[in-house]
Amino acid sequence: MKQFKLKSLLSAIAILSVLASCQKDNKVIVNPPAATSGVYVLNQGNFNANNSTLSFYDYATKSTTSDMFSAANGTKLGDTGNDAKIYGSKMYIVVNVSSTVEVVNVKTAKSIKQIKLFNGAVARQPRYVVFNKNKAYISSYDGTVAVMDTTTLAIEKYITVGRNPEQMVVSNGKLYVANSGGLSFGNPDKTVSVIDLNTLTETKKIEVIANPSSMAADSYGNVYVLSNGDYATILPGITIIDNTTDAVKTQSPTLGSAHANSILVDGDFAYFLMSDKKVLVYNVKTQTVAKASFITDGTVITTPYSIAYDSTTGEVFVTDAKDYASNGELFAFDKDGKKEYSITTGINPGAIVLVNK
Amino acid sequence: MRHKSSIILSNSLPAISCILVLMCLQLISYKTFAQSDTTKKLKEVTFKATTASKVQTLTPTQQITNKDFARYSAFSVADAVRNFSGVNIKDYGGIGGLKTISVRSLGANHTAVLFDGIQLNDAQNGQIDLSKFNLNNVQEIAVYNGQPANLLQPARSFASASVLSIKTIQPALTLQKPYQIQAGVKGGSFGLVNPYLQWQQRISKRWSFIANANYVYANGQYKYKVDGDGSDTLAIRRNGDVRSLQTDAALYWTKSDSNKFNIHVNYYNSKRGLPGAVIFYNPYASQRLENNDIFAQATYEHTWQSSLRLLVNTKLSQLKTRYLDPEFLNQQGGLDQHYNQKEAYQSVALAYHLTPDWEISYAADASYIKMDADIYNYAYPSRFTLLNVLATNFTKGRWQLQGNLLQTNLNEMVEKGVASKSSSVLSPTLMATLKPFDNSNLQIRAFYKNIFRAPTLDELYFYAIVPRTIKPEFVKQYDVGITWTKNLNNLLEYITLTTDAYYNAVSNKILAVPNKNPAIFSFSNIGKVDIKGVDVGLKTQTKQQNGWRGLLSANYTYQQAIDVSDPASSTYQNQIPYTPKNTLALNAGVNYKQLGVYYNHILSSSRYYTGNNVPDYYVPGYSVSDASAVYNFITGKLPVTASVEVNNLFNKNYSIIRSFPMPGRSYRLSIQITI
Repeated sequence: MKQFKLKSLLSAIAILSVLASCQKDNKVIVNPPAATSGVYVLNQGNFNANNSTLSFYDYATKSTTSDMFSAANGTKLGDTGNDAKIYGSKMYIVVNVSSTVEVVNVKTAKSIKQIKLFNGAVARQPRYVVFNKNKAYISSYDGTVAVMDTTTLAIEKYITVGRNPEQMVVSNGKLYVANSGGLSFGNPDKTVSVIDLNTLTETKKIEVIANPSSMAADSYGNVYVLSNGDYATILPGITIIDNTTDAVKTQSPTLGSAHANSILVDGDFAYFLMSDKKVLVYNVKTQTVAKASFITDGTVITTPYSIAYDSTTGEVFVTDAKDYASNGELFAFDKDGKKEYSITTGINPGAIVLVNK
Repeated sequence: MRHKSSIILSNSLPAISCILVLMCLQLISYKTFAQSDTTKKLKEVTFKATTASKVQTLTPTQQITNKDFARYSAFSVADAVRNFSGVNIKDYGGIGGLKTISVRSLGANHTAVLFDGIQLNDAQNGQIDLSKFNLNNVQEIAVYNGQPANLLQPARSFASASVLSIKTIQPALTLQKPYQIQAGVKGGSFGLVNPYLQWQQRISKRWSFIANANYVYANGQYKYKVDGDGSDTLAIRRNGDVRSLQTDAALYWTKSDSNKFNIHVNYYNSKRGLPGAVIFYNPYASQRLENNDIFAQATYEHTWQSSLRLLVNTKLSQLKTRYLDPEFLNQQGGLDQHYNQKEAYQSVALAYHLTPDWEISYAADASYIKMDADIYNYAYPSRFTLLNVLATNFTKGRWQLQGNLLQTNLNEMVEKGVASKSSSVLSPTLMATLKPFDNSNLQIRAFYKNIFRAPTLDELYFYAIVPRTIKPEFVKQYDVGITWTKNLNNLLEYITLTTDAYYNAVSNKILAVPNKNPAIFSFSNIGKVDIKGVDVGLKTQTKQQNGWRGLLSANYTYQQAIDVSDPASSTYQNQIPYTPKNTLALNAGVNYKQLGVYYNHILSSSRYYTGNNVPDYYVPGYSVSDASAVYNFITGKLPVTASVEVNNLFNKNYSIIRSFPMPGRSYRLSIQITI
């Protein structure tokens, strides 16, 4: 009798288990549209959460694909996609914690090759990529810049630079690398490495404000370096380097009334994401502030996180990381600083890549 | 590269000798005090409890005793309570994986963990890792929503949203059998070897002691499936090795039930690897954690004939933690951080019956905590907490009413930077039960508790380059429930049903807000959460017939925990992370003479790992089963208990915390002999 009871009990449990395993299938299989014309957003995701994604917004269909990479490849990008840039027909996605560079087809996001950046069992932790004459230069937190051939996709050399290098910029035949030293709290690095692109060796280190991270260069011989300071006594600030003499031209803690967090330069203008959440436009030719605030329609961005400029339309794209833990947003502004549209992105949208026909 | 504050568990030993000297001094004074008391021994009350009687309490209470640990295939304290309704164990997987308790969606910081009535306090991160506590010296574990309904207890027992109480085995010896030795070993999957020893000794009529040693070694490796990186083979979880030693010694002085004293010294030492989150394409993990915890605690309890009761508790503790990350890419070529938390704690409680129906009590607790860490720009904070609580219990006819008012003072000092402002908070609690019918064991209960948790020292000072202003996190708890128990005379021996509906309103929720700049990790009080839930529990067993007995218990939880912080946010009205809406725990078993066979099943519905309830952040539900068999026999006049436990019987691939996969099917064999 009791055995019977137990039996029915166990079968009841078994039924429950089966019911429980009938969970809804949340995998959304989409046929990714070809990225003929639109904008990619690389979302870092959360640290140690393996949820970096590549959003794509198609201008023509006005539709968003939340993760083009997994839709195209069936696998995921990994942990903390930090930078993405297009060179030729390929897009290079630098995945920091997974310690990889994913090289994908720009139009389809289909993976061409995944390059693992490890030094034995130690992850190099790549951060950013820039290009020059068929070579990709990848900065990594282990204090190196990897030189990769963009045809063979083979790494040819690791150039030793300063501590925890972040952004880089090519200017006047030289590669400038921001050595942040950001992983040594209280003791950041304060140099920019100059690499001769012919010999692929570091020729000098320029002293800048502590903890440099963001960089850009204009066509008037200026290299802009934004530093974070040490978060205590040393204030963040901007350093401008002369790309002929490699001497520091000016240094200032603020630009207008705030600190600059990131920079991009296009033509005669630099666009800065400022600590007061504004987008500041700076005339690099006259070295004066052109517009203290680019956004003119009162659109509020909670946490400006990355910026892109479309020189063909004059549009400015800004991402919002919100609370850094939930989905972000991409805002598109027309050349007059009026919001055109916004789309939902993944968590921590840290890089914007424009794809034009 | 954000700093992993979650892995830095707090814990700690320079003053061991000092602690011991102090404890000895205290022991002497207590002893003198105790012996000088000439009050007559109170008549010992013996009462015959029915199996099911324990459930009728003012606040929802769930208990498990040591004879049932094997029924739940439990290895640690965390496993033993995971079946409880309203309880959510956050298990990072594996023997060395962090396991914390969240009761009714409030998070680990809102549950006080008591060890023989005295709180295991971790001011650094406010959470107790339950994987650190083995079950071999545990008599009973209980979870109380609100608080235990006892008036005579330290003020800290009143000072949290819920209480997890661990009671150790006390010596139970006679003149004829003045000692008892229990030796056992557990072993099995993950390379587990766990020998343990317990020695109970009667010294004299009044003195006895108990000593426990528990050693755990496991390589911690297990296979798991990686989903999303394109691999089609199982990966092996590495760097999850554990080596730990827990020793506990207690000395008991019992003049009578109304006049007793005990002193405990507990030492825990562990070294473990942290396998970390599964990172696609990067399988290497090398972080390590070392814990060195010691505490000594003493309790003196006296009941006078006038009904005045006194409870004195003293504790000194040191929690030392070392966190190593040899591959951290800083200038030193790795992280090697040391955290040291010391606490001195004193509690006095008095209770007195004004009339036979009406009892009042007062408790005062004082605690001083000092925290040191060799990290950048550390504040070296110390915190002084003073708690006062006035409580009253009134029983009249079918009614029992209880209430208390807790007053908390928090004061902090720092050696560097800016200290958090002092605060003083009043927290009321009201509880009532009504037994509406004379001839039925049906009770209706309700409680309201307004309580808070203080910000932890990590939240306030861990890499706090910019001074943080964090207010306490408040919870208003409302609960209405029914308990019903019936002793039967048919096939079933008894049946017990409990159900509670609750509403928790969390305000000033402390949220960690990471920043683009990793060093500026900030915290804010922006969160508001509305939690509505239902807990249902059923427990029954058959009468023993021809040596057979069947057992069944089931617990069900429904939880809706909604973020109501900011209507403009994309997470507004979404379920908070890692909160399943439905959880069901079933346990069934059959005892036949000396053999018991048990089956345990836990079913959890899906969850989201971020505040956005969208498919991208979906964590599937899981359904896992455990089975165990226990056999008791006598060999050469010595009682032996042998057991086999199988966790994750159907080898399901699941995780409780995303990126921290749980092990597949695993086995554990145990044998224990009592001399």
